[in-house]
Order: sequence, then C-alpha cells, then structure tokens
Amino acid sequence: MSYFFQLVVSGIVVGSIYALSAIGFVLIYKSSRVLNLAHGQIIATGAFITYALTVMAHIPIYISFVLSMIFTFFLAMSVERIFLRRLIGEPIISVIMVTIGLMSIIDGLIYLTPFGSENFSFPPFLPEQPIIYAGVSISYTQLVGVIITFILIGVFSWFFKKSTVGISMRAVSDDQLASMSIGVSVPRVFGLAWATAGLSAAAAGSVIGNITGLNFGTLHAFGIIVFPVVILGGLDSLLGAVVAGIIMGLIQQFASGYLDGNWGLYGTANVLPYILLLVLLLFKPHGLFGTHEIERV
Amino acid sequence: MKTNKISIWLIVSLVAFMLAIPASSGAKVYKLGLSLAITGPTSDAGNPYAKGVEDYFRYVNDNKLLGQDTIDCTIRDDKYETSITKRNFEEYLDMGIVFYLNYSTGSTLGLKRDFEEVKMPTIPASFHAGNLEDSNYIFLPIASYSAQAIGLAEYVVNNHEGKKPKVALFVHPSAFGRGPVDDVKKSVAAGLNMEIVEVVEHGQDLDNTAMLQRFKSKGVQYVISQTVQSPVAVMLNDASRLGLVAKTFGEKGKFTFLGCHYTGGNDLIALAGDAAENFYWTTSYIITSEPGVGRDAQLALAKRYGRDDKAANSHNYANGVMVAQVAAETIKRAKARGVEITKESLYEELLAMNGINAFYPVTTVGPVTFSKDDQQGVDTLQLYVVEDGNFKSEGTPFIPEYTGKIK
Amino acid sequence: MSANRWLATGNYFTTYQEEQRIFFTAIDRLLFAFFLAALFLWPFFVELDSKYMLVIDNILVAVIAVLGLNMVTGFAGLISVGHAAFVGVGAYTVACCARIIGDQHVLITHAWPLMILVSGFMGAIFGLVVGLPALRLKHLYLVMATLSFQMIFEWTIGFMDFFNQGQTIYVGRVVWFTGEVGRNEHYLFWYYALLTVVVICGFAVRNLLRTRYGRCLVAVRDNDRAADAMGMHPGFTKVYAFGLAGFLAGIAGSMHAYLYRGVGMESFTLHESIQYLAMTIVGGLGALTGSFFGPAAIKILDLQVESLAEWALNYLPSTMNLATALRPLSFGLVIVLFLMFEPRGIANWWRILRSYVKLWPFRY
Repeated sequence: MSYFFQLVVSGIVVGSIYALSAIGFVLIYKSSRVLNLAHGQIIATGAFITYALTVMAHIPIYISFVLSMIFTFFLAMSVERIFLRRLIGEPIISVIMVTIGLMSIIDGLIYLTPFGSENFSFPPFLPEQPIIYAGVSISYTQLVGVIITFILIGVFSWFFKKSTVGISMRAVSDDQLASMSIGVSVPRVFGLAWATAGLSAAAAGSVIGNITGLNFGTLHAFGIIVFPVVILGGLDSLLGAVVAGIIMGLIQQFASGYLDGNWGLYGTANVLPYILLLVLLLFKPHGLFGTHEIERV
Repeated sequence: MKTNKISIWLIVSLVAFMLAIPASSGAKVYKLGLSLAITGPTSDAGNPYAKGVEDYFRYVNDNKLLGQDTIDCTIRDDKYETSITKRNFEEYLDMGIVFYLNYSTGSTLGLKRDFEEVKMPTIPASFHAGNLEDSNYIFLPIASYSAQAIGLAEYVVNNHEGKKPKVALFVHPSAFGRGPVDDVKKSVAAGLNMEIVEVVEHGQDLDNTAMLQRFKSKGVQYVISQTVQSPVAVMLNDASRLGLVAKTFGEKGKFTFLGCHYTGGNDLIALAGDAAENFYWTTSYIITSEPGVGRDAQLALAKRYGRDDKAANSHNYANGVMVAQVAAETIKRAKARGVEITKESLYEELLAMNGINAFYPVTTVGPVTFSKDDQQGVDTLQLYVVEDGNFKSEGTPFIPEYTGKIK
Repeated sequence: MSANRWLATGNYFTTYQEEQRIFFTAIDRLLFAFFLAALFLWPFFVELDSKYMLVIDNILVAVIAVLGLNMVTGFAGLISVGHAAFVGVGAYTVACCARIIGDQHVLITHAWPLMILVSGFMGAIFGLVVGLPALRLKHLYLVMATLSFQMIFEWTIGFMDFFNQGQTIYVGRVVWFTGEVGRNEHYLFWYYALLTVVVICGFAVRNLLRTRYGRCLVAVRDNDRAADAMGMHPGFTKVYAFGLAGFLAGIAGSMHAYLYRGVGMESFTLHESIQYLAMTIVGGLGALTGSFFGPAAIKILDLQVESLAEWALNYLPSTMNLATALRPLSFGLVIVLFLMFEPRGIANWWRILRSYVKLWPFRY
C-alpha cells in the first residue's frame, strides 16, 4: 500500500510542477488569447538565471530566486512589447508562429551561454534527508517546490479576483473592445500578462532545476507537456491548470508505476497525456474548468 | 538602390575572402571528416568530443608529427540527425577524405551501408555492438556497450555476497540503450550466475520513485544503466531521496548503481551531486581525477589550446583525443610504410594494428587493437567508483570473460 | 482577353473562366516552359557535388510536403504542427513493406512508383482520421490535436520493435529501365523523379484550387459561416483538406525514404514539423508559389548559416559556442521578421516583381 501512496505523493509533486509551468501559459492565453509555445524556453531561462546568480554571483538562493523572477518579469514584458505588440489583430497563426520563432531565438541565445549544452545542478541548500512517513518519502526540495507552487497559485488567484489590474486583465480577456471603451489599456494588460507569466515561469524553472538538475533539454520540454495539462484544465482557468496538473502528474506516475514493465509497455507516461489530449479534444474540448465558448464548426 | 550597393559589396568581399585563402604548397594535406552532435540531443557529450578531436589534430600539425604533411579535419555539426550526417558524409566524400569519424549510434547504423559501399574506414563515438554486424569498415574505439554491461554484470556476480544477485537494467529507449540487453541476457544463459529481474526503458521521467519502489519490492539489488547522464542522475537523486543508495557495494536492501561509458563522468557528478556517491562506472578511458601520464597529457593538451576546466576534465574530451590519436597514428604508419595515403591503405593499416603493432595511446587503460575479426579497439575496461565527489579507479583493467563465451 | 495574346498591361477579363487561367499570356506560358526545360536540362551541363545534389533533392521533398501543408494551413486556415508525422507515415509505409518483405524485394526496388502512391494514400487516410476533430474544433484546438498526433506517432515508432524503435530501417536501391540506380547517379536520378512529382503535384494543386473544391477551402478559411450559408459543409471541407495534406505528405515521406535509402525517426520529429510550418510562412501562406520558395529559402539559409558559423569559428574565441547558437537564432529571426514585416512571405516579393516586369518601362 505504501507503494500506492508513494506514487500519489510523487504524482502530486510532479503535478504541481506541471501546474506551476501551466500557470504562465494560462495567464497569457487568458488575457490575450495567444498560445505561447516559447513558454518552455522562458522556464529554462528563469532556471539558468537563478543558477547563475546563485553560483556565479554568490547571491543566496532565496534572493536570486526572487531576482530571477523579477528579471524574467521584465524579459517577458519586453518580448511582448517587441514582438507581439505589432501582431495584435493579425491572424492567430501568425501569433502562434511568432512564439515558435521566439522559441528558436531563445534557444539560440541560450546556446551562446554554457547552459546550452552542459549540465549543472544547484548547490544543496535544504536538508538532504527525506521526510519519511509510513514508508512514503518526500524530499525537502520537492516539498518546498509544492509549497511555492501553491503560494504562487494563491497569489495569482487573489490577484485576478481582487486587484484592479487583475480585474482589468479579466475584462480584456472577456471583451477587448468593451474594456477599451471603459478606459482599460489593452496593450498594457497584454504586457502585464506576459510579465506575470514570465515571473511564474522563472519560479517553475527554479523549482524544476532544483529537483532534476539543469539540463536545457529537460527544462524546455516543459513547454510542450503543459499542452495536455492546460487543455484538460481548460485553457483559461487557473484553477483548472492546478487540478489538471496534479491529475496529469498522478496519471503519469500511475502509468509508470503500474503499466510500465507489464505487457511489454514502456514510457507510457510520455504518451498517455497526448492520448488523453486527443480524446478530450473530441469530447470535452473546453476542459474541466474552461469557458464553454468554443466555436463549433 | 541602397540594397543593391550593399549586396555588391557583399559579393566583392566574399570573392576577396575566397581569393585570400592561400594556395596549397608542396606538403600534403590529408583530409578527414567528423560529423557529430555539437548541438541538439547528447551535445553535452558531443561538445568536448569535438574539442578533443580538434585539439589533437592541431597538436599533430603544430608539432609536425607527420613531417611537412598536415591533417585537415573538417568538423560539422549534425544536430544528432541522420539526414544531416548523411549530407555531411556526402560532402566529405566530395572533398576526398581518407578517414571518417562518426558519432551517434543512429547515424552509424543508418550510414553503415554507405561506409561499406565506399569502403571508408570509420570510427564512431558509439560503441554499439550492432554497428559491427555486416560491417567491415566500422571500428569501435573501445569495447562495445555490450562488453561494458557484461563486465559490470560480471563484477556484480563476483563481488556479490549471498544468493543469486538480482539485477535490473535501466536503458535508453533506442538501439543505443537496447544493444547490450540481449547480450547480457545471453551471458546469463551461458552461465553468468545472476537474475535479470527487469529491463526498463526510461522516458523523460521527472520522477523514478515508482520504478525504484517496484525494483525494491522485487528484491533488486543492482541497477546497471546504459543511457546518458541525465536520466541516471534523476534516478540517483530519487534513490537518494528514498534513502535507497547503497553506501557500500551490494549493501542489503539498497541499490548499487552501475553504468556504461555514457552514463558516467564528471557530468553525472555535476547533475546528481552527492547522490552519485558509490556509483560504479566502466569505460576504457583514463580520467583526470586519477593521477597518471594520461591525465597529465590530457590536461596539458587542453591547456595548450585554452580549453576550460570542464572540457579538459571530461572523459568525452579524452574520447575525442583518443579517436584522433588512432586516426593520426594510422596515417603516420602508412606514411612510414611509404604507401600513398588513401582510404584503402588506411584501412589496411587499421587491420594491421594488433599484436606487436598494437597502438598505445596514453588516454586509454589498454592498447588499441584492430584486426579482421576484432573491430573493437581497446578491449580492456576499467571500473571507476565515485568517492567524495570524484571517480576513483577500482581494481585493475580487465577484459570481460563472457563476451567471448556468447559469440 | 486582351487584344494581344503575348502581352497584357492590365486585366481584360470578361468571364470568370478567364480569370482562373493558369497562364494569362502566351509569354507567361512560354517562359514557364523554358523554365521547366531548364530545370530538367541543367544537370547535363553542370555537374554538382553530391552534397548539393542532396540538398536540392531535399528541398524538392520539402516542396512536396509544404504543398500539402500550405493546402491545410494556407488555404484552409488550419494550423497543423504534426505535418512531419504525416510525412513520417509515408516514409514508414515504405519502411513497413521493407520490413515485411525484405528491402530488396521486387515490390520495393521495381514497383517504387506504386509504393510512392500507396504511401500517399496511407498519408491521406491518417490525415483524414487526424482531421476528424476539425469537424468540431477550430484553430487553437486543432494545434493541440495535431500536436498530440505528432507525439503519439513519435512514441509508437520509438516504442515498437517492428519499427526498429526509430532506428534506420533500410530501403533498397531502386531499379530503373537502365538497371539498378547506383551510388553515383543516385541523387541525380532522384532529382528527376522528385522534379517530375513536384511538377505533377504543383499542377494538380493549382488546378484543384481553380475548381469548386479549392474555392471551398478558401471560402471556409475566410468565413466559415458564410461558406456554410452558401451550401458548403465547413467540417467536411476541413477534413478533406487534411486528407489532401496527408496525401502530399505521404508522397514526400516515401520519396524521402528512397532518397536516403532508409527511414529513421529523426526526420519526422516535432522539430521538423515546425520547420515545415516555417517554410510555409516564409514562402507565403495561401500562395502556391510560396510552397516552392519557402523550402528553398529555409534550407539554403540553414546551409549558409552553417558555413558562416564555420568561418566565424576561426576568428572568435573557441569558448564561444557560436556555431551552435547561430542556427536556431537565424531560424527564429527569419520567422519572426517575416511575420512582422512580410506576413505574405516571399511569394509576395515574387508577385511584386512580376507586376514590376509587366508594367516596365512604366513605374510600378
């Protein structure tokens, strides 16, 4: 039985990382209806900045964590300003392709640094010994990761529900024209959405980097795995991202725990999310918590 | 009109640049080609490898090891894609290369027929035993992954205390990872006293807890990996978190991890940190955390060409240097024999590299021997184990017994 | 119709049929014929390195694939990020046959045109199936559907022993009337084969777009409700666009398999899908000529960047990993710059050039 619970715990840990990665994605989609394929690259950038600040500039990791979030905040904002602002009103494919282009550009920039092809790991700053309770273990790094995820999710939900800026972001996502007419600056909201997404990406990157080590390939793969997560949760729902992230984490853990090794199956954890995605698209494309506004053909 | 002017200038400067390349003098230039993944998957290994090859050939040219003649080795990135490797290879053929260095398992298998057709002696960086099937022109620099995995399995059997050791194999989901699985199974069938409990092909898992728990419930004590560093690091981290890493070899109720060439090295320690302690790794290369002639030579070469510490201490740098050494040595020998340097003569020279003619590069733990039936270079392997964040050698170089028995 | 059938300075269409002509003037037709002849004849006069022959062949394979992608993305307005998987379906059709009946079997070496056609139909079947969600979904969600097809395809190939787990499956040398196509003439032979297929596909697509079905695609892209009101079924139109795209992709895939004499997974990954999309965008979405310019531009850019990086390496400190960085950097920049400054792609430059020439010596 402890096997089962261990899987549950690991699933929740992996799942909350997915949730944290998905939040940034949802933020951008929610306000500007843009699918950001470069999200994985921003996550990686955030992780590398945290590492560089911690190890190369010898700043305590907690401070560099915050600094890196601030940095990606402005980075994502300027990305929006430079590349996406011009494309407001262009067909959706152009916008998606621009994010694909961005993906390549950030790839290229990261390859200019040592992070592109080499492996690093964060210096340990938490107790190494895991917490073991009834045969189920979780490390401090993972625990802190989960806690950070939930704190951030709480902050973002509050931000959207209560703050003026958050409300104006929601207004823009609902109806751009109407919100413009009541004096909401739509471009500013877009910029902010990207910026907060960048911030959450840095957080996600640092958490992942602490758990898996810093490898560019592993990190930017998160930009793709968030797709099934956000579709499951509903493209524009923060709560959905969290729930779906955890569901996806659990599915993957159970798949590798119970399916792999039996019936000659391997690596099912990598393909199940996409099978689920395809099924969802056919039957429930707006996801668990998404707005039911999808247009039928 | 402005753009026109710019483009004219571009063309003019391009032509000027092309003319500026000096015309060749009397000395001969031997053309070699290397195509590898400097970018893309596995580039963490490909990068130092390329540096090693480049540096050694520069060293050959700078020190006039071939007299007035020089080696011109073109290094191209193939992003780990067979189609680009093929394009590079076709280009090298047009250039008239006499020796070809390849990289990945995938492209070596993919281009095997081309190597046969054009009779090009080839040394890949992949030690996959399957490279040698139906192939006369591919030479592995060191013992194959299969030999390495069998060597590790033998070490487990010889040093295990108690009943039959239970072993799990953790492999990369490709031919590169799968290669040794069958050969280890054959060795077990041929009498190697151990039990293979499970063969796991890993994905891009973030968390191997489930797998490790499963291993534990099945009584697995040893995990032999044949993959690249980062999955191993994830596994080691998880095991360490679960408190399942054996402190000594074969500790009861815990896992002892072992791995083949591409699982180990400093990158693993960089990724896994303390979790890498007591990780057993086998390769035929010397490493820089152990004093010796090879280490000094490797560090001196890296220093001479301004490489950073990371590259200088990488075992894949040694890997690249060694392959370049073999290539340069065959050219040197063919020259000494007074024959014209062609791919045919170099092939002959490689085949003659055995017995008294075996080649001793300082970067490996044993001699390089090639012959018609032995297309694996260094047959001896060395076991290393991580102690206090450094790989230390364990025992003396050995040759796995069962590789011969399963043929 | 203008009075002079050789020259036209403006449009004198009096019927819709006239507007849909492929060649507006006799000069157009003549020039095109010369151009085609030149394409077929140049190898007799110039001998190119195998490397460049391979590059050209590769461009032609990409042209076929991009013709398909342009159909679904450019004309029907559906974004597909799984096009490489469809190309892969074609390639693996050949590979499967090679696996079952042996790669030197007569069917593969002699009946290769048939194999190519079969692969096309396999691609079409997969296209239709994957396109099914298009009956219900629109743009963003289709991105997801095609993405998941791409991922599932990659996993299936990588997982199954039958597909050699994504490692190369060999395909034998083909036989032509002159005997087996050997190593020396391999690329030249496939140049002709590919060129023929490209010409046929190009004309087929051009003609299709003149028909009811082609116009249907564009109508659905521009406004599916209006199209619905005009009596077209937007859902089926989209599904059949996917089918067509799959067909062309399948053909491209099988020709890729023959060209490289083997099929391996790396040529059909998500990265390649993105490359195809980039080619379509750079060439020009919804422009037939774009399908020719795009692949050529991206592939040549790739080569140029590679040699630039190599050249730069001699002058820069070797610690700087410029070679690695330049490729994705330039690729990304090209996409972004085109989207920002020339969203209609190279096809638009071509259109401007043509109008310029047509009006010459007057100012454009």
